[in-house]
Amino acid sequence: MKRLRKSWRDPALILAVAPAGLLMTAFFVVPLVMTALLSFQGTKYYRLVWTWNLDVWSDVFSQAHYWTIMGRTVWMSGLCVALCVILGLPIAYAMATRLKSLENHITILIVFAFLTDAVLKTFGWVLFLDRTGVFNGMLTLVGFPPGATDLLFGPGATMIGMVYNLLPYTIFTIYLSMVRIDRDLILAAYDAGASKTRTFFEVTLPLARPGIYAGAILVFVLSLGVFLEPKVMGGGTSPMAAELIRQSFETRVNWPLGAALTLVVIGIGMVSLGLAALVVRNRLQGQDLQGQGGQV
Amino acid sequence: MTKEIKTPNRLGPNPMIGQGLSRRDLLKSAGAVAALGAGLATGLVPARAKAASSLNFMCWEGYNGADIIVPFEKANDCTVSFDLIADSPGGFAKLAAGGYRDFDVVATDSPWVARMGPADLCDFIDQGEFQAEYDSFYDQFKAPFTPLEYEGKATGLPTRWGWVGPTVNTKFDKLETWSSYAPCFDPAYKDKICVLDWGDWPIMPMALYAGINPYKELDKAELEEIRKVLRALFKNTRAVVGDLSVAQKGLLDGSFRALIGGGTYCTSALRKDGHKEIMSIVPEPKNGLNQGIIWMEAAGLIKGSDNLDLAKKLVKRLVSPEVAVNLAWTEATCNLVPSKAAEDLFSAEQKDVLQMDYMWHAWDNSQFHDVAPNIDEMLEIWQQELAAAR
Amino acid sequence: MSHPIIEAAAIDKFYQSYQALHGVSLTVAPGEFLALVGPSGCGKTSLLKILAGFEDPTSGDLMIEGKHMVGVPPSQRPTRMVFQKLALFPHKTVAENIGFPLKLAKVAHGEIDRRVREMLSLMHLKESYMNRLPAQLSGGEQQRVALARSMISKPSVLLLDEPLSALDAKLKKSLQAELKRLHRNLGTSFVHVTHDLEEAMMLADRICVMRAGHMLQVGTPEDIYYRPATTFVAGFIGETNLLPVMVAAHGGQGSKKWRFASPSIACADPVVDRTQSAPTVVDGDALMMLRPEMIHLLPEGTPDMPCAMTGIVDEYFVKGASIQYRVSVEGLAAPVILEVPGTLRRPADVGEPVRLGFRRLDAYLLPADPHAGVAA
Repeated sequence: MKRLRKSWRDPALILAVAPAGLLMTAFFVVPLVMTALLSFQGTKYYRLVWTWNLDVWSDVFSQAHYWTIMGRTVWMSGLCVALCVILGLPIAYAMATRLKSLENHITILIVFAFLTDAVLKTFGWVLFLDRTGVFNGMLTLVGFPPGATDLLFGPGATMIGMVYNLLPYTIFTIYLSMVRIDRDLILAAYDAGASKTRTFFEVTLPLARPGIYAGAILVFVLSLGVFLEPKVMGGGTSPMAAELIRQSFETRVNWPLGAALTLVVIGIGMVSLGLAALVVRNRLQGQDLQGQGGQV
Repeated sequence: MTKEIKTPNRLGPNPMIGQGLSRRDLLKSAGAVAALGAGLATGLVPARAKAASSLNFMCWEGYNGADIIVPFEKANDCTVSFDLIADSPGGFAKLAAGGYRDFDVVATDSPWVARMGPADLCDFIDQGEFQAEYDSFYDQFKAPFTPLEYEGKATGLPTRWGWVGPTVNTKFDKLETWSSYAPCFDPAYKDKICVLDWGDWPIMPMALYAGINPYKELDKAELEEIRKVLRALFKNTRAVVGDLSVAQKGLLDGSFRALIGGGTYCTSALRKDGHKEIMSIVPEPKNGLNQGIIWMEAAGLIKGSDNLDLAKKLVKRLVSPEVAVNLAWTEATCNLVPSKAAEDLFSAEQKDVLQMDYMWHAWDNSQFHDVAPNIDEMLEIWQQELAAAR
Repeated sequence: MSHPIIEAAAIDKFYQSYQALHGVSLTVAPGEFLALVGPSGCGKTSLLKILAGFEDPTSGDLMIEGKHMVGVPPSQRPTRMVFQKLALFPHKTVAENIGFPLKLAKVAHGEIDRRVREMLSLMHLKESYMNRLPAQLSGGEQQRVALARSMISKPSVLLLDEPLSALDAKLKKSLQAELKRLHRNLGTSFVHVTHDLEEAMMLADRICVMRAGHMLQVGTPEDIYYRPATTFVAGFIGETNLLPVMVAAHGGQGSKKWRFASPSIACADPVVDRTQSAPTVVDGDALMMLRPEMIHLLPEGTPDMPCAMTGIVDEYFVKGASIQYRVSVEGLAAPVILEVPGTLRRPADVGEPVRLGFRRLDAYLLPADPHAGVAA
């Protein structure tokens, strides 16, 4: 593939980029800068006070409970990424291979699940997982005592909700990179003497890596911001970062604190992505070249 | 008073800054455009047909019902625009930040109406002018009604009220069990308590149970006591719930034995649906300290209205018996009203749903809700203890 | 001939209702280089996939090295495939690619390394390439890596699916020579699919021509070129002249006497023997095949050849080593194509009348019916 070699001073290019640039500036950069400025203010009695000091930041870095929640958020997000990848891989693989004929149906189903209001789905889970809910009802039918599981209102339920809501991202990204794999590469592995399992681990999995990484990054970033799942399904007793920020902004009406915590979460996200990028760059090296005239 | 989730279907971060541009803003800019364009093209006027006058009304959802507003608009040939409040401090902050220039009338939680006095945001209520309205109230709300007064002047008129206390299901628990908050800390109730995530609402009753009046200035030791009582509460808490329907569902099926931090606000809709076993009560006074809390909403006039007479008419309408019934009986919640005159308009069934036979008992055993001086510290403690809960 | 390494018998292959192969039977001898040629869609790739084990025949039998192969997965077959697009693993280094079959066969690490180096040197690839990724090599080098990967485990049959088709002409030539050399050195049987007949002629011991799922003819390059079974084979491989004739049996031993439909062509003693006639030719209408290089342009003053005709030059093309003429001859629908050796002085110009001649020995008779001898 040839790179576009256009000068940044090309007026046509500037004109073409201008609308997106303006939008980004107006709706992303400016609010971010405002958030940063806000974090240097104070609050008294539900009122914002323009103090221009580091009080909020020293509060953020001296109070353990913010970091308890941040730590929990990162841990939950990491776990969610792992589960989404582990569950997404076989589903994507099945869609790309065995269930080729049902592929469209499955895609439509997933898209529907995707488009259904998150609030609705989350409440559906509440009804499903409750002590007296559908899941326990089904267990009773097969002989378990009533209320055999007590999943609702705990980190487990939060995780179920997160994985449920975010799994489509990994399924789709992994699926897209799997269907891009040249069928001949799979045949070549069979031809060289590989079993189906071996072929999956030697060829399919390594070549699906771009999709796995993309899905993992998406899920991680979205996980950092989950709000409904810990609040509704998790029962609010193990809050995550988004809930902490909401509490600060809304319940405590402490905008500077909320702003500072927001920046902390953005920072955590950026550092994690930076580390991920370092790892990925090393491991993906070869595949970047894949499309570029590699094959005769 | 902060009530983040006013209706069961509203869940999610509520934007602090109102609902975008107010209609007055729009009309203003339309006017400006028209003025600009006039030189170029005569006849370029805003397409919107303008009524003789207009009012801007900042209020909780429910006050903007068509039954309330449309007859008023017709009778007075005016338009009323709303800005719905997502949370009361946010609404107040908006007014205080200069937004008061855009509004004529506000209907919000009473502490925030009262605070418009010292903040110089309100047009005080002339008791003479509103004598007929005061006369229609129960004695407890008649002028001078101190909770809404500032320096002897009324900042607004009460519109709706209720009490904060444990909400229980009498199918599972006797009411007497909850004549104190003690079961919240009883190991027998472990994992059976639902705390409502409604800002300061759940904190205040717990402070009262700890023997501290949270509406006074608190010292460090008292704040530590509040920390302890919250920590103990979270040990027994199954869920901290922001959404009314989730809380109500748990209460009905018995997985929650009590809702803490709510009260009539979460009871009445269930009673309306026939769940008469659900009741909100006020615990008995403990060591001379009333354990119940009375919350109240009020309507007030905002300083500098272009149309003060019309604004007064709207306030009068909001406290009229006809509207009072309307405000008491909404889709999502049922609440009490200060209007004695409205009492005859309720059916016996409605009175039962509203627990009207209990209301003065609750009133007598309660504190008036206000903005607590140490609310910042208390909310921080809440946040810290919640973070450490599991 | 020793026992064949591949024996395919009456293979049919259906894809849903579409029949890709019609009763194909084929044998390949050990060490033989067989080319499968035919236009796209002729079934040659389907046949190759069946040999490789990527697909099973719908009916028919396949034996490789004397073992039944239907239902045996590719990994269990003594065959290796070189793919059209090479199918090198983009995430594996050159050494990993080449050594992959050995790794799967659980060969010791050191042994793999030794044999990879051996393959590299056999394929004239630098050892420094070992740690490169395929994308960092040129097209020709990738080709060699693909060949090395398929041969490192010493398969008894190498299946090549048009691996040279995408290369430029010069590179193609050098790799063709390379293939021929490899084949000679290794003694492995090669089954080489191509649509390039010239390539097939150069490389193969035998050529199998296919069309629409049918096998039309299997034979040596000489057979295919000079003694095609049908007009399709004749036309598929190079340019040719097909002159309408009437034939009749003459004497014994399959000799045939012919008569041209056009009076412009005269022949003394118009008889061919058995070897100059496709077995499917019957008395009556037939076609006489003459390759362009078999027709000579007779300059002024030279004597006639036993068979001669006159015509007018329609067009000529200077091809370098030769000049091609198209001469219209009265009574023939298509111009006669001939090639004369290239020369500085062009023997004739457009519009000039010319005399043409050919030897009786060079004529080969084909049935007029293009489907003769092909089961429907």
